[in-house]
Amino acid sequence: MDDFLELTVSAMASGCIYGLMALAYLIVLRPTSIINFAIGEWSATGAFVGVGMLSTLAWPRFEGPYILAIVAVVVVLGLLGWAVERLTVRPLIRRGAAVTSPILALLGVLVIFRESLTLIYGADPLPSPPPFGFKRIEIGAFAGASQQFFIIAVTLSLFALVWLFFERTVWGRAFEAVALNRRAAALMGINLGRVTALAFAGGAAVAGLAGLLMSPMTSAHYMMGLPLAIQGFTALVIGGVGRVEGALLGGLILAFVEQLGARYLPIPSGLTLAFPFALLILFLLLRPTGLIAPREAR
Amino acid sequence: MRALLWLASIIAASLLAFMLGGYATDVYRKMLVWIALALSYNFLFGVAGQIAFSQFAFAGVGAYGVVILAHKLGLPFGVALAGAIALCSLLAFIVAVPSTRLEGFYLALATLAFAQLFLVVVNEGGDLTGGTGGIAGYRLPDVFGYTLRGPWYTVVLVLLVALTLHILLRLERSSFGRACRAIKDNPAVAAAMGIDVRRTKVITFTLTSTLAGLAGAAYAYVDNVINPPVFGLDNIFLLLFMIIVGGMGRPAGAMLGAVLLYLAPFVLEPIVGHAYLVLFGVLVVLAILFQPKGLIGLIDRLVDRLGPEQRA
Amino acid sequence: MTTAPLIKVEGLTKRFGGLVAVEDLSFDVESGEILALIGPNGAGKTTTFNLIAGVLVPSAGHIALDGQRIDGMPVHRIAGLGMMRTFQHNMPFAGMSLTANVLIGSHRKLRASVLDILAGRSFVRDEETQARQRAGELIDFVGLNAYRGADVTTLSFGEGRLLEIARALAGSPRVILLDEPAAGLTTAEISRLSAMIRRIAADGVSVLLVEHDMHFLLPLAHRVVVLNFGRKIAEGGSRDIVRDPAVKEAYLGEAAGALREGAPDA
Repeated sequence: MDDFLELTVSAMASGCIYGLMALAYLIVLRPTSIINFAIGEWSATGAFVGVGMLSTLAWPRFEGPYILAIVAVVVVLGLLGWAVERLTVRPLIRRGAAVTSPILALLGVLVIFRESLTLIYGADPLPSPPPFGFKRIEIGAFAGASQQFFIIAVTLSLFALVWLFFERTVWGRAFEAVALNRRAAALMGINLGRVTALAFAGGAAVAGLAGLLMSPMTSAHYMMGLPLAIQGFTALVIGGVGRVEGALLGGLILAFVEQLGARYLPIPSGLTLAFPFALLILFLLLRPTGLIAPREAR
Repeated sequence: MRALLWLASIIAASLLAFMLGGYATDVYRKMLVWIALALSYNFLFGVAGQIAFSQFAFAGVGAYGVVILAHKLGLPFGVALAGAIALCSLLAFIVAVPSTRLEGFYLALATLAFAQLFLVVVNEGGDLTGGTGGIAGYRLPDVFGYTLRGPWYTVVLVLLVALTLHILLRLERSSFGRACRAIKDNPAVAAAMGIDVRRTKVITFTLTSTLAGLAGAAYAYVDNVINPPVFGLDNIFLLLFMIIVGGMGRPAGAMLGAVLLYLAPFVLEPIVGHAYLVLFGVLVVLAILFQPKGLIGLIDRLVDRLGPEQRA
Repeated sequence: MTTAPLIKVEGLTKRFGGLVAVEDLSFDVESGEILALIGPNGAGKTTTFNLIAGVLVPSAGHIALDGQRIDGMPVHRIAGLGMMRTFQHNMPFAGMSLTANVLIGSHRKLRASVLDILAGRSFVRDEETQARQRAGELIDFVGLNAYRGADVTTLSFGEGRLLEIARALAGSPRVILLDEPAAGLTTAEISRLSAMIRRIAADGVSVLLVEHDMHFLLPLAHRVVVLNFGRKIAEGGSRDIVRDPAVKEAYLGEAAGALREGAPDA
């Protein structure tokens, strides 16, 4: 039982990371219909920026307080996302290019980011200090690493914030209006360019935070992006490409299936790597709209 | 006239095989496999507009298929080859049917999952697939009494490229190719004109994946070694980049892109090290932004400017 | 005409959530007949058009083409049965030549499978030659001869409309559906279009059109079906329609003036 409860904490934490990645996709996907596979590399970038702000292992070797690292990740990744939108996505949208064009351009961006990270930070993994050390924490019957609880707390707060943004603010409403009907939204006076730029900046910031939160468990590494991108994507498909809460739900389901399967199913551990893909295929086959359907334009 | 041109090109490309040697032969052979893969991927992605990430997975099915059937299970080579290719077609069909049911990027997602799943299976396949180390130490058996070794195997690869090109050109210039282009541009309108969009997509995906399998089977005997990383996601990005840089939807563009991006690292790596990959990324972004027709589009424009009087 | 109607629409109803866009609509179209569907904005014309074209599935009722039910059928199969359409906002296939665009319309008639093509069978080439010849004739018919090899994105709006018609005709349709064909055209283009539609119908092709422009429509249509709030409020020849009190009522304040001006005997 203890074993199961500990597994629950660890699955919750992984699920939160996947959920954040799914959210990063979603923020960009909803208003633009663009699947941005580069967010995996953006989370790796977030991890490296964090390491640089917290330790002497990477530039700028700042050794600052954790809150400053979070702010730095949000600001730097937000700016990078904004710049990528400005330089690659916006000219394509303005030209009226097919939606595949920005998606392919972003694959180019993915490679640029990944290889730049190896050039700047090297190919070796860099350990990332967790904000509360390597303590074990017990809350009631639940026990786990402090970082796992930290991930869960930050993710839940972030999802609450994003949910409030979409449901309660004029800007969030504008996002949703653009998602439902670009042309009508433009006619209503919503600035499409600004919504798209904000979507990329926001998506990048969320992905960067996911990378920062994840990095104490896996170290910051230039190869950490692609698996995160795929897992986030699977979470998105499971949860449904519509709503914020679906992203979190999808992430948690994926993580629980992964970890419970690896722990209790009598199959070689290597094959458990196949779970997310099997789950992705299963959902594409049986429930391609995901568990939580988007709001429909009538 | 056209037949002569084909023959001359095949002979020229084969002669090159006898002139090269050692390391250059190895580079040339792998380049030929890349060209074959780029050609079929170009039809799928550049002509028919389907984004899939499974081209190398199917090459892997072809490669592992033929090696396992022929050398692990001991089937006659012809049967093993036919079996591996049939397996590719079957798997491609199974992947395509559900994932073309819906619009959008479901094919991209399903093929991404399939490609990753393939890697997991190969890595965990134990003795049968050789796990992470792959399979080595087998040799191409004699085919119809001929021992295809050295430059003669390179000729086989030249014929593979020629066959792939021939099949795809014939398709592209037919009503089927036209239907593919129409679907790429606007599936809803294509359907309104009586084109069965899903059927066309399934056929295209199955066919190009089968051609990928054939190229993979040929690759298996280039070094007489196969291992999982070759069939991973990094190579599919490179294949995609080759087509974008060379010119989407044009066989000549795909071939040009494959040759350039395959050979570029040999020149660039000694100078800039791994940074050449950053250059590739930049090149792709620039191509999409400023030269969507790729290098072949640039060449077209140059030819137009040089000889406007010769234009039809 | 005493033969069975080519298109039979019966009890057609379409609901979107709580909104009824089309309610219990019935009408027929004969072979070679030009039937116009009109009505004020929001009357359900476009919904009806999309139901017949197969883009939408009816909530109730059925649609038959030559006795065969087509409601709920996939769009490409409806086209395959000989119902071709044009789009209100021209939808050419960009990146393909004008001729290739028209050829796409002929696809419902082509029998070559992928295997036939790969095997290089001779009928494939014959079929293609025939389709090309027919496409050439149609390009002549709509008067776009000068643009054969042109990039379709360079065509003017009016020329794009003509391409739409040529592409639909390439499928040798039994019915052609025209979605606001006169919208955005100049007066000269409209009169050419009218003549063209008459010739198409004279060849035995049924023409079903949804239209706003009364000047264009009233002299052209053999029969008019008037919709308002999703229901049929009148049906008949152009002359009777403009005198119908229910129609006048529906159009009051919107297009009453247009109705009067556009009457063929005015």
